[in-house]
Amino acid sequence: MQFVSLLLVRLVQTVMVVWIVVSIVFIVSRLIGNPTQSLLPFDATNEDIAVLEEKLGLNDPLIVQYGRFIGDAVQGDLGFSFHRQGAAIDQVADKVLNTVRLTAAGLVVAICVGLPLGLLAALNRGSPVDWLARVIAVIGQAVPSFWLGLMLIFFIAVRVDWFPTAGYNGISSLVLPAIALGLASAAGFMRLTRSGMIDVMSTDFIRTARAKGLSERTVIFRHGMRHAMLPVMTILGIELGRLIAGSVIIEVVFSWPGIGQLMITSILQSDYPVVQAGVAVIAGSIAIGNLVVDISYRYIDPRIRTAEL
Amino acid sequence: MSAQVAEVRISPLARWRWMLATRWRRYILVAPPMLVMLTFLIFGIFADLIAPGDPGDLNVLHKLQPPAFDGGLSEYPLGTDHIGRDIWVRIVHGARVSLIVVAIVVPSAAVFGSLVGLIAGWRSGRLGQLLMRYVDVQLALPAILFAVLLGSVLGASLRNVILILLIWTWTAYARLVRAEVLSLREREFVVASLAAGASSWWIMRKQLLPNVFNTIVVIMTLEIPIVIVAEAALSFLGVGAPVEQATWGRMINEARNYLNQAWWVIWMPGIALMMVALCGNLVGDWLRDLLDPRLRNLG
Repeated sequence: MQFVSLLLVRLVQTVMVVWIVVSIVFIVSRLIGNPTQSLLPFDATNEDIAVLEEKLGLNDPLIVQYGRFIGDAVQGDLGFSFHRQGAAIDQVADKVLNTVRLTAAGLVVAICVGLPLGLLAALNRGSPVDWLARVIAVIGQAVPSFWLGLMLIFFIAVRVDWFPTAGYNGISSLVLPAIALGLASAAGFMRLTRSGMIDVMSTDFIRTARAKGLSERTVIFRHGMRHAMLPVMTILGIELGRLIAGSVIIEVVFSWPGIGQLMITSILQSDYPVVQAGVAVIAGSIAIGNLVVDISYRYIDPRIRTAEL
Repeated sequence: MSAQVAEVRISPLARWRWMLATRWRRYILVAPPMLVMLTFLIFGIFADLIAPGDPGDLNVLHKLQPPAFDGGLSEYPLGTDHIGRDIWVRIVHGARVSLIVVAIVVPSAAVFGSLVGLIAGWRSGRLGQLLMRYVDVQLALPAILFAVLLGSVLGASLRNVILILLIWTWTAYARLVRAEVLSLREREFVVASLAAGASSWWIMRKQLLPNVFNTIVVIMTLEIPIVIVAEAALSFLGVGAPVEQATWGRMINEARNYLNQAWWVIWMPGIALMMVALCGNLVGDWLRDLLDPRLRNLG
């Protein structure tokens, strides 16, 4: 029962985050920016501007404009694209799947590189594997993802021609963007797994498990790894948000037809409704992703199920 | 406790000599990255002396010249880009842009964030809760999105980049300083001061601030490469510094189309950015281990 009520609280928090995002979009687009300036040609007369302002309802009090903006946003209406046909949100919706593909692939890379490497490094401290893990951690932490992506293009795609450098056609074009996107998170997962495993392997219950005569595999995976995964789960939500946000820049590097690239080309065309719809969709999906991770985390570890949110 | 007492009695000079004698390995390892950061600093400050000339100057006749050491003209030590601009001049002046951004963003974010953290930690009631809720919301939202949004509306300018990065980075200080203050205020010396009638302001200034100072310095150092990379990322996306300013991010973006024909156009700014990011991180990690090892797991 308590679990359900906490879930509700968390849900309300998520709705609030989305609301704040939409409000920020409103503030930026209506208060800081001027929609008429971007809609009309440079030589528009004052009458033209007045007509458009009336049409867009820009003469109403701000609070009325805000209410209408929120009302439209709730229904998924974030205005029409200036340069392409149709609603801005439809433009974004067309690209959602590609961004989801890229983010998911990045997450797969982060987990498949980070966890095993962290585990091996913890079990073989000071060995070459540990050194490799440390090098990857430093590189993943420090090297900007877009530069990493460009280096991958330079060395692997251009020189060796193993993978396509740009666009989306099939699973092979996912490999390089996913590595560039996922390596930073892989470094984070790796460090947490390594320190978590080192801590847990010196605890009493691991000694007991060994003393019982359990196989080393059982000890490591069923007793050790399970415990070391908890901090990893904690940062999974943050890393997911980082991956979704990071996909914006990676999409530009690899000409990936996703929301990020759409947003950047829309900026160059001053197509603000599309940019705003993109920001709202990405921020919303991050908030929902955090919610899902948080719920599953509580599901996996019963000890914190009822802890304070 | 006793270790602390013993340490106080040693003169600072003797302590440094002792540290150098026993832990010289730690200092030797950090020397190369420190040197790189120092070079970056000097490049940024003395850009006009080191690489005289306008980074925007172009000479189409000399476009895509290889670096001097790779068979190019001797007047272009690092070659030229696709419209014949001197890459050496642009990199040095790009360092200046990065340095200006860092020099404004990092101290301002530190002051503002630490102040919020101090207040939120000391007055952990409704005000503190409110401040931290805000920090949580901002942490849930990647700032690059809002940088893109704001940059698209405001247009490219260095002032906007600085503003965006300030909004982006101050929360790190607030979170960590608050956490420190929450534990500090339960300590005996703070409780004693309160009992003796010290004002909140006095306690914050004389007792809390000196105790969180190391933490703030460590975060500032770790934030330097983060800010540099963030500025480069914004310039790369075209929402950073304006076109007439040479920035590493913009140079990398413009060079993307010449990846196959002219390696130096993209590698020169790329290496500069990578070196500074990597070395800044190494220096930051080193300082953290030296001053405040507890921060190790806080990312």
